[in-house]
Amino acid sequence: MKILVCMKQVPDMESKFKLSPGALWYDTADLAWRMNEYDEYAVEQAVRLKEQVGSGDITVLSIGPDRIKETMKKALAMGCDRGVQVADDAAMAKDPLAIAGIIAEYARSRDFSCIFTGMQSQDRGSGQVGPLLAEMLGLPCVTTIVDFAYNAGEYLVKRELEGGVRAIVKVKGPAVFTCQLGLNTPRYPTLPNIMKAKKKELLTVPVAELQKLAGQQETTRIFFPEKKGGGLVLEGEIGALADQLIAILKDKTSVLA
Amino acid sequence: MPRREEVPLLLPGFKTNLTSPAAFFAGDKPMNFELTEEQNLIRDMVREFAETEVAPTARIRDEEERFDRALMFDRLAELGLTGIVFPEEYGGAGADYISYAIAVEELSRVCASTGVTLSAHLSLCANPIYLFGNEEQKQQFLAPLARGEKMGAFGLTEPSAGTDAGGTRTTAVKDGDSYILNGTKIFITNAGEAETYVVFARTDKAAQKHHGISAFIVEKNTPGFTFGKKEQKMGIRSSPTMELVFDNCRIPASQLLGEEGMGFKVAMKTLDGGRIGIASQALGIAQGAMEAAVNYAKERKQFDTPIARFQGIQFQLADMATQIEAARLLVYSAAYKASHGISYSQASAMAKLMASETAMRVTTQAVQVLGGYGYTREFPVERMMRDAKITEIYEGTSEVQRLVIGTALTK
Repeated sequence: MKILVCMKQVPDMESKFKLSPGALWYDTADLAWRMNEYDEYAVEQAVRLKEQVGSGDITVLSIGPDRIKETMKKALAMGCDRGVQVADDAAMAKDPLAIAGIIAEYARSRDFSCIFTGMQSQDRGSGQVGPLLAEMLGLPCVTTIVDFAYNAGEYLVKRELEGGVRAIVKVKGPAVFTCQLGLNTPRYPTLPNIMKAKKKELLTVPVAELQKLAGQQETTRIFFPEKKGGGLVLEGEIGALADQLIAILKDKTSVLA
Repeated sequence: MPRREEVPLLLPGFKTNLTSPAAFFAGDKPMNFELTEEQNLIRDMVREFAETEVAPTARIRDEEERFDRALMFDRLAELGLTGIVFPEEYGGAGADYISYAIAVEELSRVCASTGVTLSAHLSLCANPIYLFGNEEQKQQFLAPLARGEKMGAFGLTEPSAGTDAGGTRTTAVKDGDSYILNGTKIFITNAGEAETYVVFARTDKAAQKHHGISAFIVEKNTPGFTFGKKEQKMGIRSSPTMELVFDNCRIPASQLLGEEGMGFKVAMKTLDGGRIGIASQALGIAQGAMEAAVNYAKERKQFDTPIARFQGIQFQLADMATQIEAARLLVYSAAYKASHGISYSQASAMAKLMASETAMRVTTQAVQVLGGYGYTREFPVERMMRDAKITEIYEGTSEVQRLVIGTALTK
């Protein structure tokens, strides 16, 4: 059974972010990098699926510059069999359509029975790559899965919807699944597996070989939210307070006519 | 008073007996201070495990003087940490000593007791069996230790044999195809919990001082081998420290480790490696304390200002960070040598000396930065200070480390 996991390397969310020169994205200097949290659930689920069926082969694919290889090794150490780094120093400037196009080009003739992605990335957060990829490959897609089961070519998954509601979806493979928090607890890569990952295949493919589809979005500006003024504390008797508040809402906001 | 021309000057090119960084980095390879991808992955994994699973109970385990084997050993085995440096054929992970240093440091950063549990197990028990054991002993004893199926401990110290290992009074008398052990060991880390013990006893009563001592592998539950009192300690209270009592304890002669009379050599070689472990533990303690101090200083306000803005505090934090960095480089230098077959006695002595004294200074300073709060048990720095002190004492006191370095320097 061939499984594909799409992974993205993102900065640690505790980092202090600065705008890049040109203010089109965040500055990548001096950041600590890690696997996108939702992609960790994807890697973990892929490894569990392989463990269940016994004979599986997991390819982890990621798009970016050389520094993503360390994070890819973590995926290999967690149990993926081989890695494909789509070498692209300008990955961050690409929109979800272009990204999905690159992955689709790779996956198209390779007969994956199951494709896992994270629900969204922690930096861009578009949540679109999984569904776009499925559409390009003509496969069904189930997003935000929080439960996963496989039996003889058929998948039974649970999706997380608003208000804590879960939808149960049955789908015949091959299919694409985007993974949500709560699906599983990703395993630690054990030390022996970290050492073994060194010997696993990690191919580099130049992005030019796979990008046939141009993106259609362009980021024109990125900025921090403007700092609003401090709050105002009103004191006094309750009736007077209410009048004061109404006056402020009428005057300073468009909440009241 | 020697005349001026009789005193050798420290000119460039002055040769010392110490292996300095220049001496072994010379050659084609440039100095590379970066960790490998694997070492980074190992750091990330152990750090995450330590912060998520070990840190939350560090305080309560210290208060209760409670060892938690499932957490502090079995989980390490599951993560593949109990045999880091040993080859895969013996159940190890085949990684290097820098990876080992990183693992012990990351564990010690949140819980010094967990750090020493791993260090004593790996460096003091598994390693001498790896270095001096025959093939049967490696298969029978090393492999389960490396896989973490069994925990190890090291029994050298006695009431009259601390720094003076020659004061060993425990005896091992050959009797047919057995040895019979009699004596007591004190201050043994992992005692009671460990299944496998590397123990030192005098086989040749006629020999003087450190001659005539041999090393043995003894297993828990061997008749005649019991445990004495558990020490009530200042720090590393979650790590069990107990006496070993041998009363006509009969062990197979096949459990002699190395040859008769080789015991002192086995102990000294073992402690060379153990020093890297303890230096890493001290480094982790210091690192944890410094981070706690920096984070506190950024939050704590006095005179309407975070105290981190005051130069007095900044200077203290700067000194802490610089000393830790210096200690870390010494530890990695020793670890590098250990993994590359370069003689490392002096390097590991320097690393242990520097890291342990740094840990004591940094943790004391950290309590000072946290002020009154630092003195309470609600904050971790007082525990770190209590934990740090032992690193200046065990596995060779700071005085012994100075002897090792000084002797090499002046021979």
